[in-house]
Amino acid sequence: MPKRRRGEKKTTYFDYNLLFIIIFLLCFGLVMLYSSSSYTSANKYGDSAHYLKLQARNIAIGLVFMFYFAKKDYHVWRKFGRLAYWGALGFCFVVLAKVPGLTRSSHGQSRWIQVGPIGFQPSELAKIAIIIYLAMLIERIPKQLDKVSSMAKVGIRLVPLVLFVAVNNLSTAIIILGIAVCMLFVASPKYKEFFVVAVLGVLFIFAFINIASYRSDRVEAWKHPETAGDKGYQTMQALYAIGSGKLFGKGLGQSLQKLGNVPEAQNDMIFSIICEELGLFGAVCVILLFVLMLWRMMVIANNAKDLYGALLVTGIMSHIAIQVVLNIAVVTNTIPNTGVILPFISYGGTSLVFLMAEMGLALSVSKGIRLDTIE
Amino acid sequence: MEWNKTYHRRKICIIFFSVVLMSMVLCGRLVYLMLFEGKYYETQAKDLQQRERKIKAARGKILDRNGVVLADNKSVCTISVIHNQIKEPEAVIAMLVKELGIPEEKVRKRVEKYSSLEKIKSNVDKETGNRILAYGYAGVKVDEDYKRNYPYDTLASKVLGFTGGDNQGIIGLESVYDKYLEGTDGLILTTTDARGVEVDNIGEERKEPVAGNNLRTSLDANIQMFAMQAANKAYIQKEADSVSIIVMNPSDGAVMAMVDYPEFHLNEPFQLIEEYKEYEGTKKEQEYCNRMWRNQCINDTYEPGSTFKVITAAAALEEGVVSLEDRFHCPGYIVVEDRRIRCHKTTGHGAESFVEGIENSCNPVFINVGLRIGADHFYDYFEQFGLLHKTGIDLPGEASTIMHKREKIGLVELATISFGQSFQITPIQLATTVSSIINGGNRVTPHVGMQVENGDKKVIKTFDFPAQEGICREETSEKMRFLLEKVVSEGGGNKAYIEGYEIGGKTATSQTLPRSAHKYISSFLGFAPADDPKVLVLVIIRNPSGIYYGGTIAAPVAKEIFENILPYLELEQ
Repeated sequence: MPKRRRGEKKTTYFDYNLLFIIIFLLCFGLVMLYSSSSYTSANKYGDSAHYLKLQARNIAIGLVFMFYFAKKDYHVWRKFGRLAYWGALGFCFVVLAKVPGLTRSSHGQSRWIQVGPIGFQPSELAKIAIIIYLAMLIERIPKQLDKVSSMAKVGIRLVPLVLFVAVNNLSTAIIILGIAVCMLFVASPKYKEFFVVAVLGVLFIFAFINIASYRSDRVEAWKHPETAGDKGYQTMQALYAIGSGKLFGKGLGQSLQKLGNVPEAQNDMIFSIICEELGLFGAVCVILLFVLMLWRMMVIANNAKDLYGALLVTGIMSHIAIQVVLNIAVVTNTIPNTGVILPFISYGGTSLVFLMAEMGLALSVSKGIRLDTIE
Repeated sequence: MEWNKTYHRRKICIIFFSVVLMSMVLCGRLVYLMLFEGKYYETQAKDLQQRERKIKAARGKILDRNGVVLADNKSVCTISVIHNQIKEPEAVIAMLVKELGIPEEKVRKRVEKYSSLEKIKSNVDKETGNRILAYGYAGVKVDEDYKRNYPYDTLASKVLGFTGGDNQGIIGLESVYDKYLEGTDGLILTTTDARGVEVDNIGEERKEPVAGNNLRTSLDANIQMFAMQAANKAYIQKEADSVSIIVMNPSDGAVMAMVDYPEFHLNEPFQLIEEYKEYEGTKKEQEYCNRMWRNQCINDTYEPGSTFKVITAAAALEEGVVSLEDRFHCPGYIVVEDRRIRCHKTTGHGAESFVEGIENSCNPVFINVGLRIGADHFYDYFEQFGLLHKTGIDLPGEASTIMHKREKIGLVELATISFGQSFQITPIQLATTVSSIINGGNRVTPHVGMQVENGDKKVIKTFDFPAQEGICREETSEKMRFLLEKVVSEGGGNKAYIEGYEIGGKTATSQTLPRSAHKYISSFLGFAPADDPKVLVLVIIRNPSGIYYGGTIAAPVAKEIFENILPYLELEQ
């Protein structure tokens, strides 16, 4: 059904629904960020709006990126596919080598590039890079993807980047792998092979979890958070917060677990504070909001003008989906603890800016849809 | 490049719907955590978020039988600091030093210690607490508290016992009836952040304390005071080591007074009494504290000596091996096997009846009677009269009877048992057994606790102390009352005789072990009225100086007590 607005002259489309959801999530995120961080940041920095201000700045930067990417014709990025890949790989290497003067550590792991006032996490860059790179790669050889061998060829190219990222950020590596698998899955007509890959992937994750010793502690903390001592502390605090929420929560701003009990409540564990303050009702609303966002992306991907655009949006959609699912699963102790942020809501500059760039990209693809082709 | 491969679209849909599926699983998980497990996690979280401060419950009072308060509480304060909330540490330290009189470095150490709640001093009187509160310094907490207070200080100290820092009973009634007296502590729950700092504008939750129940005892403050004065007098006059007095009702075992002089100060239970002052600060301080707290009426055994002849006589009457008219001859000694056992009157009592024998407390008569009963049967009477078991008094640490094994009792042992030597029992055991013999044959359980009452004097629980009936025949009991009245009116107990009253009793003078030390225990056991005993008094004077005969020094003490309490108890002449 073609949509018709203001006469019938306008033939291009722009997904305002998606834009609205993004803006809503960002605003909601700011409110929750302020709620969860104000008490501790007032104690730590003497300014209850410390994190709020920083995040507002991040959003401002992100908005610039989003509008730039939205305005720009997304086909331009085809040329930058390889550059993005090698660039991400390079940055990851810099971080891995801990090049002095260019990197900085946080929380005991070196994950940051820092040049003067500008700092970012190359692992976040890697996510968008892999989307742009894979979309380009697959679009060139759509027919060949019928064959398992050519799929493997594509897959092999991803190995260096995934490994580089995995060394000090396993969760991001898993997200990157997930994005890649989703994009290949959409591009290829095969089903069975992907099922096998999925099973293998699950087995691999289990093996990895059990081999790396510090992650085994995490497994222990996941199974028995109450007896795991310090390792299970964060999980237990999150569960306390969630459990305290009940059906409608304690009310916005009324969380007690954010008073330093949930460590850095504005980061990975912000969803637990949402649960405590807004209850099951609020938590389900947030999940629905994300599902709504993914639905808009599905619509955009399905109606994209070309395969390249569809693949870009598929990548972005899987990126968001994986992060949301992983984050909530971690916070509810459904899976072992791993640092994944909740998109648009958790505090964090790099991820927000890149996420908004991806949103710009998705909006740009939506712009290319011709109204008369919408199904 | 156009694309319309349907499989691409189908696969995008598959991705979307699997995400929807996963979201539903997560929502299910949330429902489980928040609705079904919510209560559990909420409780746990509250535990973590709230700091508890105890509100001590007022401990129940201990009352005598007439409601006179023997132990109650004084309102005091506990001063503590919360490190994180102190804004002016120097001013707080200066103030605490000034108000509490504690050395500065001690206060400084506690104020600067990083802890959620640090106690500075407890048992601070209320005015000081209010003054500290009036300064209004942040981080200083004044909690109302109770301290045990004993209005009569030394009165019945070893029976009442005292409490420790956590309000728990340590010895005596305070420890035995702790669960009725202690009450339930209340709580002040304050919400704090992870560092322990109180969160403003969230009110305190209070759980009010429940005061403990009162314990009404069978003690009578007046009788206890009479007895203590009498003990005090004997203690000083005879330069004795200690004087124990038990006053009980022989018909039900209710203890009306129990003195073990010297008593200690209940309000300062850890301060050694005058007699032990020299050990203060030495290694032996704790040992002497324990000695000071020891209730010798219950915790220690002794050889009863001639007072035990009451039991020998009762056993013989019960066994039917002697009648009141039986004649005996005392040459001043008796030979048992190869031993020559002397009578206390070395020249001998000559010819005498059984009645005269008990009046004279003649050893050969009782050895003779004991031999008639025989070792095996005598042992059976020990069992029958309840001497082999503890009395079951409601005070801690009762000592057991120290007795020969049945098969080890030869004729010599039997002879010595007959006049109360070569075995040991506690004073309360003697008093209880004699009570049971003279009350018609009901083995009573001695006791101090009577009932538990709440603050409105409503009885919550009445304690039941069972009596075992028929340990001897009523006829035997009656004869014993007659015999013991004779002892006081005409025999060795005449120093306890009071004009116009019928008093029964028996004296004793026993030598402590080792015999070579020549230390004696003088005692007298008496009861009144002789034909229907309502009160029984046991006086034990340990290691008196000078004359040590029970009839000479212990009987007058009992007489003095009787003179005071018989009119007081309104027992007719």
